[in-house]
Amino acid sequence: MATAVIMPRQGQSVESCLIGEWHVKKGDQVKKDDPLFTYETDKATFDEVSPVDGEIIAVFFEEGDDVPVLLNVLVIGKAGEDWSEFIPEGATADGAGKPAPAADKKADTPAASQAVAAPAQAQAVAPVSASPTAVDAPISPRARTAAYKNKADLRYATGSGPGGRIIERDVDAVVAAGHIATSAAGTDYTAGIAGSGIGGRVRVDDLGQVPAIALTDTSAAVAPLSQLPEYEDKKLSGIRKIIGEAMHSSLSDMAQLTLNTSFDATDIIDFRNRLKAAKAKGLDQSLGFSLLAKVPTFNDIILYAVSRTVLKYPDCNAHFLGDAMRFFNRVHLGVAVDTPRGLMVPVVRNADTMSISEIGAEAATLAEAAQQGSINPDLLNGSTITISNLGSLGIESFTPVINPPETCLLGVNNINTRLRMVDGEAVPYQAMGLSLTFDHRAVDGAPAARFLQGLVKNLENFQLLMMEN
Amino acid sequence: MPKSQYIAPEDVRSQSWIEFDKIPVNIYQKTVKDEKDNFSKDEFLRIYHDMRMIREFEEMLMAIKVASNYNGVEYNNPGPAHLSIGQEASAVGQAYHLTPNDFIFGSHRSHGELLAKSFSAINKMDDAELQKVMEGYMDGRAYSVVEPLKDKRNTVKKMAISYILYGVLAEIFAKETGFNQGLGGSMHSYFLPFGVYPNNAIVGGSGDISVGAALFKKINQQDGIVVANIGDGALGCGPVWEAFMMATMDQYKELWEGDMKGGLPILFNITNNQYAMGGQPRGETMGFQYPARIGAGLNPEQMHAERIDGYNPLAVIEAMERKLDLLRNKRGPVLLDVVTYRYSGHSPSDANSYREQTEIEAWQKVDSIPAFARQLVEAGVASENEIKAIDEEVVDVITDTIRLAVDPVKSPRMDLSKDPSAIERLMFSNLNLPALSDAKPDMLLAREDVPRVKQLSKKLRYAYDDEGKAVSTNRVYQFRDAIFESVLDAFYTDPTLIAYGEENRDWGGAFACYRGLTEAVPYHRLFNSPISEGAIVGSAVGYAMAGGRALVELMYSDFLGRAGDEVFNQLPKWQAMSGGMLKMPVVVRVSVGSKYGAQHSQDWTSLCTHIPGLKVVFPATPYDAKGMLTSALRGTDPVIFFESQRLYGIGEEFVTSGVPEESYEIPLGEPVVRRQGSDVTILTIGATMYPALKAAAEMQEKYSISAEVIDARSLVPFNYDLVLESVKKTGKCIVASDACARGSYLNDIARTLQELAFDYLDAPVTILGSRNWITPAHELEEEFFPQPSWFIDIYHQRIAPIEGYSPTQSFTDIEMLRRSKYGF
Repeated sequence: MATAVIMPRQGQSVESCLIGEWHVKKGDQVKKDDPLFTYETDKATFDEVSPVDGEIIAVFFEEGDDVPVLLNVLVIGKAGEDWSEFIPEGATADGAGKPAPAADKKADTPAASQAVAAPAQAQAVAPVSASPTAVDAPISPRARTAAYKNKADLRYATGSGPGGRIIERDVDAVVAAGHIATSAAGTDYTAGIAGSGIGGRVRVDDLGQVPAIALTDTSAAVAPLSQLPEYEDKKLSGIRKIIGEAMHSSLSDMAQLTLNTSFDATDIIDFRNRLKAAKAKGLDQSLGFSLLAKVPTFNDIILYAVSRTVLKYPDCNAHFLGDAMRFFNRVHLGVAVDTPRGLMVPVVRNADTMSISEIGAEAATLAEAAQQGSINPDLLNGSTITISNLGSLGIESFTPVINPPETCLLGVNNINTRLRMVDGEAVPYQAMGLSLTFDHRAVDGAPAARFLQGLVKNLENFQLLMMEN
Repeated sequence: MPKSQYIAPEDVRSQSWIEFDKIPVNIYQKTVKDEKDNFSKDEFLRIYHDMRMIREFEEMLMAIKVASNYNGVEYNNPGPAHLSIGQEASAVGQAYHLTPNDFIFGSHRSHGELLAKSFSAINKMDDAELQKVMEGYMDGRAYSVVEPLKDKRNTVKKMAISYILYGVLAEIFAKETGFNQGLGGSMHSYFLPFGVYPNNAIVGGSGDISVGAALFKKINQQDGIVVANIGDGALGCGPVWEAFMMATMDQYKELWEGDMKGGLPILFNITNNQYAMGGQPRGETMGFQYPARIGAGLNPEQMHAERIDGYNPLAVIEAMERKLDLLRNKRGPVLLDVVTYRYSGHSPSDANSYREQTEIEAWQKVDSIPAFARQLVEAGVASENEIKAIDEEVVDVITDTIRLAVDPVKSPRMDLSKDPSAIERLMFSNLNLPALSDAKPDMLLAREDVPRVKQLSKKLRYAYDDEGKAVSTNRVYQFRDAIFESVLDAFYTDPTLIAYGEENRDWGGAFACYRGLTEAVPYHRLFNSPISEGAIVGSAVGYAMAGGRALVELMYSDFLGRAGDEVFNQLPKWQAMSGGMLKMPVVVRVSVGSKYGAQHSQDWTSLCTHIPGLKVVFPATPYDAKGMLTSALRGTDPVIFFESQRLYGIGEEFVTSGVPEESYEIPLGEPVVRRQGSDVTILTIGATMYPALKAAAEMQEKYSISAEVIDARSLVPFNYDLVLESVKKTGKCIVASDACARGSYLNDIARTLQELAFDYLDAPVTILGSRNWITPAHELEEEFFPQPSWFIDIYHQRIAPIEGYSPTQSFTDIEMLRRSKYGF
């Protein structure tokens, strides 16, 4: 009767062992206690010895195989004896076939430990009181600060924290429900003052004083990168505030408006064709220009043009903070990317300081990371203006939705053949559509249109723009 | 455990008798007259001088203590003064043949021993050498104070005597000009250039520390032997017995090879002064009657033990000469039972109510100092006038010394109001010294030929394959492999590095971290120790004091208690108590258990963080384990390096490029973000990071709560910047570890965050630890250690309630109060 030698279980937690080294092969004669093979757990190496005298008549696994414990590893018997009943699951015969690999213990994937943190959602929608009540609930330091900053009227807050404590989310709910003091009264607002405004809002009159309104110059200065602060905050003018309030109430949450236009794409098409032709001649190798190594896409061209244009229109490279505008001195381009998880907007930072090749490469890298879901969440924050390109999907015009707190979002459409009258004759040309949505609370129609106009001019004379910069 | 030693049942079970040799008791009875041919007049007079100087020094201290006046110099010394008046002959006799390369360690009553050893060293060193020591030590700070005595003490040796007396006295008086800037004091005085290593305020404390110093001498082939001065009372201390066990290990003779073969060069000198605090070892608190008897039980050589009459300096000198010969010929260790008597009480507050005045008087009648003077005169060695001249000189020298030491201008105290960080600077040495000697590290194989290194080259160094699937346990490079690589590299880098513990050699550590080191590292650098946690750590302290680097292991965190004095009193204190003269490059690897119940599963990091002077770290990933252990092993500070038994088998899940093969360091004290989030910060210590990450994933998935998980990695030091930034962002924080919540370090972290981020908090920082119970059996552990669901439970109950959530654990106010009220 043949004897099977199993992979021993060295310890309760051991599920499989690696075969380290074979001391015998099929056909060898062995004596009892002769070493057969070594095997390794994660902690130690052991020798397995023969339990009987005989010939090795079958070997089911090879060196380096990870063999589940208690499986037959080899059979000792007489030459010619049948060993087929000992074949373990997954092994073929004589170690010639692939053995059954040990089942992976952990089913976890790295995604479990490295999941991208999605932005915070409202965990439980905190309720808001229907009518103002006296503020006597405990409040967290953070919620108090948030209430002060956002002018939340705490009399509408319902404490959802432990023991009815008002916590940050309760303040957020109050703000979302619109229970805020008017902006003008805001800085001097303290909880508990009876408001005479709509819905009990505290108005300036209620405070018995009019806060000074600072008027500030909004033109952005151009300074070298190293000297520039990341951004500067400028108080909104009184008129801006009124417009903001008005636009807000007329369009509920946001005052979004879209301008559509198109531009003559001849120059950018020509630009790409010239680069492609140069590349075809092998100039990318001989000159080593990155511009030739990877010819910029239409999207890269738009990104570049925006990065070089928008700083001249500070309203469009800004955040609307409710009571202030934050004008940025750098351009951080949000690039809308369609991913399996939905829309993501990675950010090309300091695009105004990058070359077109750098912008193109960075946008490509970010888009790929976003699509794979491996992107660092930090790279999804901080854009100053966003570009959404639906042109490749054949869209001629659309109403992009703003990525708050930005003031503008530029939609890019497809290229169409259009006609133009030249000397009384219809001449065809290629035109590309642009759709600019802006937040009317922050930007008026004319400045937004001027930005679009500036962008169109730069795109129509793109090769000049490249030379200029 | 070594395979080379076969335990034969027929031997172990065979019939025979153990026989002992007779133990000599006070066999030497000679006097000056009998030894005239063996000592010169100078030598005889020096013996008298040294005893007389020590007596005067201590009587001065006694006078200052009880009358605040010595010879017209007024001073109030509030610090301790444990005097050895009556014991001078044993100290001087011991030091007589010792060289500056021989080390002595002392007890809390060791002024006599350290002065005697210093006088002996001064006598043996040449003038130029002495001058260099005095002018070089602390940039000549202490020397500059005594330098004006130059005209009066007109030889370098006399100046050196004044110098050592001054340095020790200034130290006792807590002066900055003392040999250890006044941070050591009476019970921790020493002077390394003369081979005087620390005294110790803990009875028996020097026992195991001395073993480490002797190991250093032996392993690094340094000249000299080590004397452990402990009292008869110290024989009641466990760590002293552990020291005996480690000093007498068979392996020195049986398994260590080549030059390393042979006994440890250590002499346990039992200064048998008849009293141990208020108890009397002989007749009352112990049963051995003669400390010399103990040697017979310790090894076949009976430790060459004998009793010596410590009231006759010549008897002690003669015995030391014979014992030094044994020790220098690798036949140690040795135990001496030196009979003596202290006239003074344990301390000035001791009213001697436990002994009759007649007993004290009887000993005073045979007082060694006048007795020796009489012998000198009777033998015609010296005249009474010559004796008198020595007596007068001694009083003059001591008077000059105290005058300088009490002077607040010449001998100021450390000014902590002017320089508030003066002690801070001494707590850690913060050096990066990968090798502590230029010697070639003694190894058995080239690194690339080490079998485990070859095995590891086949392992995958990141926990997931290209498709994101977890690599199987047997193929992945594990936490234990990271420990191995770091230790192996350190062995090849630092020739002084030694590692030991209870299963470190052939077994390769109970958790297989050292598997494969046996093949690469010679016996004397990696060995098994007795089950003596106190001596394991204590000897490491001594090894480091003497100039080496030790890596020792406590198999379970729960055994820290067994090494309590060594971990809490010795290891952390000596750098600062030495005024920066000593470094303490010791890494103690401590494994935190799981699955093994109440005495094998406790996380005791908090006990260590409580003690100033220890660095405490607890890495949770293979990448960190390797980098942080490498940092610890290149540093010069004591590091308690915690490891979790839950983690030895894990792969590297965070650093996608895997654990590098080459050496690298991760600085101690810097936490790291493991998962980014925006709603709540979870800061974890050790293995608790993994349940926290599970909790974070579930919070995101089920409740859209975005948790940021930070791994503390280190406890002391700890840089809060990253955590504060996170807490300011999220406004909420849970601090978690597997330690029992009460008294845990978590509370310290929570308090600090609360104070520094108060205005940003949306809820109090809350802590999540284990229950304040015994650790139950493995099957019940889920009710004891923080589980992933507990994080959500505590978030729901103490931070921000989640709609529709039902917790399983109660963290309500009422439950907190109830637990506290009843002590859970």
